Amino acid sequence: MSELVILVLGAVLAFGLAQGLRLPVIPLLVGIGFALAQAGVATGDLNDMLELGLAFLLFSAGIELHPNRFVKHRKAVLWTAASQFVLAAACGFGVALALGFAAFPAAYIAAALGTSSTLVVVRQLQRRVGAAGSYGRIVIGVLLVQDLAMITLLVVLSRLGEGAAAMLTAAGGLAVLIAAALAFQRWMSARLARRLQTDEELLLLSVISVLFGFSWLAVQLGLPLAAGSFLAGLALSAFPANGVSRSILRSLTTVFLALFFTALGARLEMPDLAMVGKVLAMCGVVWLVTPLLVTRVVERTGKLTRRSALTCGLLLTQTSEFSLVLAIYGLKLDQMPEEVFALITWVAVLTMTVTPFVATDRVARRFLSWMPRKIPRKTELRDHVLMLGFGSGGIWALKPLTAAGHRVVVVDEDPAVVAQLRAKGVEALTGDASDEHFLLHEVAGLEAKLVLVALPDPRDAARIARMLPGVTVVARVFEHDHVEPVRAAGAIPVMNSLAAADTFMEWFEQTIGKKEETPPN
Amino acid sequence: MLVTAALCALAARRIRMPAIVAWIIAGLLLGPATGWVSLTPTLDGIASAGIVLLLFLVGLELSLDRIRDVGATAIVAGLGQVLFTVAGGLLLCRWLGFDWMAALFIATGLTFSSTVVVVKLLEEKGELDSLYGRIAVGIFLVQDMVVILIMTFLAGLGQGEGETGWKVAAVGIGKAFGGMALLLAITLGAARWLLRRPFAWAARSPETNLVWSLGWCFLIVWLSHAFGLSHEIGAFLAGISLAQLPYSGDLRRRVAPLMSVFIAVFFVGLGVRLDTGGAPLNLMAVAILSLFVLLGNPLIFIWIISKMGYSRRTSFKTSVTVAQISEFSFIFASMGVTMGLVGNEVLSITALVGILTIGISAYMILFSDQLYLWVRKRGLLNWVRASGPAEERKTKSHGLELEGHVIVVGMNSLGRELVRRLDHVGWPVLAIDNDPKKLEGLPGHSLLGDAESLALLNEARLDKARLLISTLHIEPANDLLAFRCKQAGVPAAIHAVDLDYIGHLLDMDTAFLMVPKVDGAKRQRKVLEELGFLKR
Repeated sequence: MSELVILVLGAVLAFGLAQGLRLPVIPLLVGIGFALAQAGVATGDLNDMLELGLAFLLFSAGIELHPNRFVKHRKAVLWTAASQFVLAAACGFGVALALGFAAFPAAYIAAALGTSSTLVVVRQLQRRVGAAGSYGRIVIGVLLVQDLAMITLLVVLSRLGEGAAAMLTAAGGLAVLIAAALAFQRWMSARLARRLQTDEELLLLSVISVLFGFSWLAVQLGLPLAAGSFLAGLALSAFPANGVSRSILRSLTTVFLALFFTALGARLEMPDLAMVGKVLAMCGVVWLVTPLLVTRVVERTGKLTRRSALTCGLLLTQTSEFSLVLAIYGLKLDQMPEEVFALITWVAVLTMTVTPFVATDRVARRFLSWMPRKIPRKTELRDHVLMLGFGSGGIWALKPLTAAGHRVVVVDEDPAVVAQLRAKGVEALTGDASDEHFLLHEVAGLEAKLVLVALPDPRDAARIARMLPGVTVVARVFEHDHVEPVRAAGAIPVMNSLAAADTFMEWFEQTIGKKEETPPN
Repeated sequence: MLVTAALCALAARRIRMPAIVAWIIAGLLLGPATGWVSLTPTLDGIASAGIVLLLFLVGLELSLDRIRDVGATAIVAGLGQVLFTVAGGLLLCRWLGFDWMAALFIATGLTFSSTVVVVKLLEEKGELDSLYGRIAVGIFLVQDMVVILIMTFLAGLGQGEGETGWKVAAVGIGKAFGGMALLLAITLGAARWLLRRPFAWAARSPETNLVWSLGWCFLIVWLSHAFGLSHEIGAFLAGISLAQLPYSGDLRRRVAPLMSVFIAVFFVGLGVRLDTGGAPLNLMAVAILSLFVLLGNPLIFIWIISKMGYSRRTSFKTSVTVAQISEFSFIFASMGVTMGLVGNEVLSITALVGILTIGISAYMILFSDQLYLWVRKRGLLNWVRASGPAEERKTKSHGLELEGHVIVVGMNSLGRELVRRLDHVGWPVLAIDNDPKKLEGLPGHSLLGDAESLALLNEARLDKARLLISTLHIEPANDLLAFRCKQAGVPAAIHAVDLDYIGHLLDMDTAFLMVPKVDGAKRQRKVLEELGFLKR
């Protein structure tokens, strides 16, 4: 009991620190677990806790796996995930060999470096003001594909060294399990969600039975437990079962996550100087290779602006909770020494901690200013109307403005939108509208008679208005909090939310409000 | 193990069997019947965490003043029942031919009722907060205290013969009382002066709030453990001390699913553990003792409680809750066996009586209203006369008594604006958000918590609502809300964050899609007219 109490109190501290310092909670949990073990109050002898926590962790990752949320960016997602998984891992492999690791442990290290953390990145995205645009979807997609790759890798590694026949059996088993999961997803999960809609307790038990049922099946098929947990998540990943399961598992996941990472930290040993050097070298690989690689690939295949691509790259600059899972399995299978486990864990802790400081707009801008840029085309634009950001609403401004005889130029970061507009004969180009250079030279912002801003990041509006003194800037914002900065920068704010409230109330009064002449009360 | 539990629970639902009976049967199937599962320390740990969480929840549900007005009743009735049942049980056992020591052990075992079983059932019935529910909880806590005293006493006796044994026992009892007093002081003091500010800060993130509360709970449990008190008492006090905070409702909904999983492990474990001791069974004794627990215990109780001025119905319903013995009885009996004071047959008798009475009383509690009507019709309660005026007060329920209202989820600028406008035109509005700061300063009702949680929507009376509006920017949450509305047959107005991803919303027949980007663009047009870029 007291062991558990100490772990829970450690988690209390970690969550408090995470909230106070705005850091991701995982590295703090691991760090505090480590500190507790060093102080001699926790032993780290909590293998059962680790197993259970692991099962829940993978299960909740699996539930998120449905590809619906990023179909539009399929190509960029697959390319980025694959190249990061292969190239970053290759660099890691090289560095690990150079540091004197044997091939097998080096392969583990490499795989650990090739993925990024879903838990950390999702948290970062949520923290961003406004809806994260296309880059958000790409990043999420990349993470999910990488998780899937890691599970496959786990299965392969668990049978490595047992000969080709064992590998084939494992692959067969995995295929059976995936088929079972997909069949469940297709035919059972929706029924489950509907049937048990009213009874939360029963629903919860059923969801957990799915988890343990698949885990049991995995063990029967000779696969690692982790594969079962993850595929159980996949089995429930279709709408609406995924939402229902997610909402009901939230507390359980939080608690097991906390215990899992604290217990994991308690297993770590004090690193010596040589270890610190190796950890830093590996972190260097993550910090250098990942952002450059991802930025390049996203810019190419996703056709996003460089700023968005760079944001993707910076967001993915850490190793994953799956790297830790991999390390645990490597240790369990006796395929690598304790030292490698520690190395992988420390790299994860360090890179995750740094992420919120690196993945910021300011860092992205700093990087951008160092990157070489194209020599601007000479533009003859004058007295035009600039629409920065087209999105769902743009057409409502474009039509009346062109009808009134204005020359309208649209800037959007989505190449698909721009292509569509061009096909209709509208002047449109892709670009980062908040980039001063682009704004002043490529679209002659200062010469425009009117600039309409509708960009996902609300801070951009004020920034642009300040770059264009003397130009009429109308900016659309959602939150009250963003109105003042826009106005202070000299622009005219239009609140989307208030407009939506008007439209809603109109609909409401005509339908529901009308049916009952006098509302109740 | 959990799979079997869930399957049994699903099957049990068909025949309206209480889930806990199903779980125990699952445990019997897995343990004694097939030997598939044996209890590992981890499972034990989870089970005891389940008990802790259950009592923590009970504490959260019952704030201090709600316990205070039944406190005296609980103490008198609890102690009275212990005395009478021990005496009755002792005589009965002697009559059945047990020796004094065995009779004493069995009789004491019969006294305890299972807090966990009853609280779980009351929670399932949603009557924890009723008058009789509160009295029952109070009685059980008093019994817990008695159990602890007896066990400390016995443990002391077991430690040494004669003089030293008595001394150890006395020290243990002193420690228990001192610990109880200290713990009460700590939790109540903390509730008043210490907890409010840190938790107000933690509540801004639901996860931190949950982890902190659990941390507090386990800290108090650990303290109570250190004083030699039961986990139940510590958890209950921890719950009470957090119940005063404004975020306890949200917390309750978050702890509940955790508890259900862990407690299932406990009940299945109860079945697995059931150890008949291998001695030949005295079925006659089992039957008679079970009857004594099922009928005698409630009768003693009805008598005590009705003497204290409660109505017939309350007395009856409270009394029904004590008609079973507790998991402590097993522990108690096995303690006696290990100490060599009694033979194995005491353990097996206790175990069987336990499983019988827990099973049957579960039905009695769940159907206590019907049972009461049946008994009253036959005039079986005429001898019970409330000696004072019935002092049943209409208890106020936690839930909001809303009907035909509009639920607005997500208090961003749009959500807050809608709440204000709907309130302005006279509609009852309920605002939901998981950040307490964002709910401040709004007209109408508000609820703190995760709108995705079914428990929250039930509390928001979604089924009675006229409309649900979600202004959230989170697509999966919006999809889920649309689904829940469709299931409940309530129209939904949902924020369409990205028009490229509204497939699920359309599938769910969402009544109205809010597209602020388009609305904003239209409004912008007016601004452009004013600026002279467009003609009016």
